[in-house]
Amino acid sequence: MADRGGRSGPDWGVLSGIAFTFFALGVTVNVLVLERVGSEVKTVVAAIVINSATTELAYIAVRDAGGSLIAALLAGWIVASRFGLLAASLGSRLNVGRWHRTAAGLQSFDPNVGVAVQQRTPHEVMRAFWMVTLAMHTGWWSGTFVGVFLGNVIGDADRLGLDAVFPALLLAIIGNLLRQRPGLIAALVGGAVCALLVPIAPAGVPIIMSLIGAVVALSIRTPETAS
Amino acid sequence: MSWWVIVALAAGVAAQRLIGMFAGTALLAKVPVFGRLAGLIPAAVVGAVIVQLTITTKTSLVIDERLAGLAVAGVLVWRRAPMVVTIVAAATTTALLRAAFGW
Repeated sequence: MADRGGRSGPDWGVLSGIAFTFFALGVTVNVLVLERVGSEVKTVVAAIVINSATTELAYIAVRDAGGSLIAALLAGWIVASRFGLLAASLGSRLNVGRWHRTAAGLQSFDPNVGVAVQQRTPHEVMRAFWMVTLAMHTGWWSGTFVGVFLGNVIGDADRLGLDAVFPALLLAIIGNLLRQRPGLIAALVGGAVCALLVPIAPAGVPIIMSLIGAVVALSIRTPETAS
Repeated sequence: MSWWVIVALAAGVAAQRLIGMFAGTALLAKVPVFGRLAGLIPAAVVGAVIVQLTITTKTSLVIDERLAGLAVAGVLVWRRAPMVVTIVAAATTTALLRAAFGW
């Protein structure tokens, strides 16, 4: 058990809240993934090694729509760009060796980096980061196993409205990006581009072309908010 | 999702995290626009994925009970409801409408 001396380190309530959220995420995402993938082993391995629910969901969404493999892979990769940004903001606060950095970089997510960068000393940053990471993974991994189990029990997922879970889940994951004007504009324009292109472009292309939304949002002037 | 797709997705995600960790600060100092784009690209693409999942069937636009579920989710996310509440409410809305109208 870590010492309790951190002034602003994550407390038990924060950690259990994060663990529970990731548990719920793990269950729902992996019920959906198992339904598409059909193999329990693949579902669990994918959850652990890809380490990005958004990437899995984006890939599956494009494939569901009949998109090509390349379009689906591209969609899965580009939604992970925010993790690069999170790793960068964590990296600038660390004072550790290369291997420790590698391990921390590979685990960069919104909640652990968010809590870590609020700490004062590099030591506190590291400690908070790993505490939240542990809470996240406890939730995500146990949720993954429960999701795979449930997925086998549920059967016809659409009747239960589980197809509505998929977009609702994505909305909840990117909720914080949408609270800032540029993020909201990017999502709205990206969505509009997709809706316009779906009837006329090959499947998968509308998703990739939604990048226009990011470019449009970029061109809108907002006060700089350096993180 | 074949094994090599899992490997390719994992490698692409890991690479971006490592680039961010080891080169991020220098890269952002040199090309600050990367920082803003990295936050906006996921918003745009996820926005499109949500549209695709909610109002399309193959290559046509369709308005049905899925949109009602998403609207409920939107309000709850905006009100900062817990993720579980959001998911359950969206699923319940869609399932009830589907049962009621037999879509």
